[in-house]
Amino acid sequence: MVKAVLLCALSLVVSVVSPTVAQPKPPVLTVYGAADLTVAFREIAALFEKGTGTKVVLVLGSTGNLAKQIEHGAPADIFFAANASFVDDLQAKGATISETRQLYAQGRIVLAVPRDSKLPIQRLEDLRRPDVKRIAIANPEHAPYGRAAQEALQAAGVWDALKPRLVYGENIRHALQFIETGAVDAGIVALSVADTPAVRYVPIDPALHAPLNQIAAVVKRSTRPELALAFLQFVNGPEGRPIMKRYGFLLPGDF
Amino acid sequence: MDAFPILLSFQVSLVATVLTLALGLPLAWVLARRRFPGHDVVEAAVVLPLVLPPTVLGYYLLVVIGARGPVGRLLGGLGIELAFTWRAAVLAACIGSIALLVKAAQAGFEAVDRRLEQAARTLGRSEWNIFWSVTLPLSWRAVFAGTVLAFCRALGDFGITLMVAGSIPGLTQTMPLAIYDYVQANQMREANLLSLVAVMTALLFLLGLGRLARLRF
Repeated sequence: MVKAVLLCALSLVVSVVSPTVAQPKPPVLTVYGAADLTVAFREIAALFEKGTGTKVVLVLGSTGNLAKQIEHGAPADIFFAANASFVDDLQAKGATISETRQLYAQGRIVLAVPRDSKLPIQRLEDLRRPDVKRIAIANPEHAPYGRAAQEALQAAGVWDALKPRLVYGENIRHALQFIETGAVDAGIVALSVADTPAVRYVPIDPALHAPLNQIAAVVKRSTRPELALAFLQFVNGPEGRPIMKRYGFLLPGDF
Repeated sequence: MDAFPILLSFQVSLVATVLTLALGLPLAWVLARRRFPGHDVVEAAVVLPLVLPPTVLGYYLLVVIGARGPVGRLLGGLGIELAFTWRAAVLAACIGSIALLVKAAQAGFEAVDRRLEQAARTLGRSEWNIFWSVTLPLSWRAVFAGTVLAFCRALGDFGITLMVAGSIPGLTQTMPLAIYDYVQANQMREANLLSLVAVMTALLFLLGLGRLARLRF
């Protein structure tokens, strides 16, 4: 009896779940992108889908993780990194098509505080105030925006004083969540993700850090490199540019 | 909100749990009943997946089963792709959860009175038969508890799956990965809804299993 019930349950489960194994229908373009692109790329992908009839699958995450996955054969067609070094590394390993390597945007960083914060924070120097207990940045070891934050704090001459108060996010969105939840008093995040209801921000002078050049390249194992290239052009074309600008990216030709 | 991650997660966890049982029960039995050189090393090694950070474990796994890894190349030669497919998610779930089953089942087997097995042996039963007719019926509660733990661990796996299966929507994006993605995209409503669905389905499933377990085997 029990065996019969188990068998029934198992066959029911199998019949329910097996359709999910079916692969989506082509043409599908798989875009791997850095976490700072999350919001902008959802809009751009939707427009691209409408215009071309292609289905865009967005895989967004930390540039370092995504690069490792592409190196080990992830089914990406194109990779939008948050900096240059990871793409150069992939290129050296023969994982991307070198002729397609392209600067697609420049990122900016901002000084952000929880919206309801009473602290008068306008400049990096204000972070020295003793009532600023915790400051969030992305991990400078591997997150490009974290490195830029460190450079800016160093240029402002406050890095050594603030180091004991720093909290490292895994990536830029993680650092933002620290601020959004009020877990920290302030933080440095990408302008592209800072425009959320829970946060106020002021821009940081780009001269304080090395330019955040974001590089894209088509992945060698892509079966539709021309479609991948078309998406890359779309991001920097008449439809993509206004969206990228709206989310605070500087675009090639504008700087 | 898309139901795909929920279905995929249950598919992956069920297949992974079956696989975990198939590999873990014999291992637990050997650890409980046999002494051999390196016994203690194997016993300790079983729990190592719980010690390493999941994404790090996932990265090592990716190096082995990815397109450039030894196992990946071997399978690729046979025309089988493992990394970045739902099968990789199954493997990830298995590795993350097998320790829970093995430790529970081993403790269960060790608690069985050996004299009862001896009695069966004097009656001419084979070892295989003794396992199914004496050992397992006397230890099934421990095995069941381990199975439930393993299933839940499989359902919730994040780090290992993220690295070896990717978080590809509609292909390998399981429930935990989808929830994380929603949170990252600041779509908290969707994230909360999916979390709620995840918790409720898992709860119903576990309640059903619990009821099933109260039946006499």
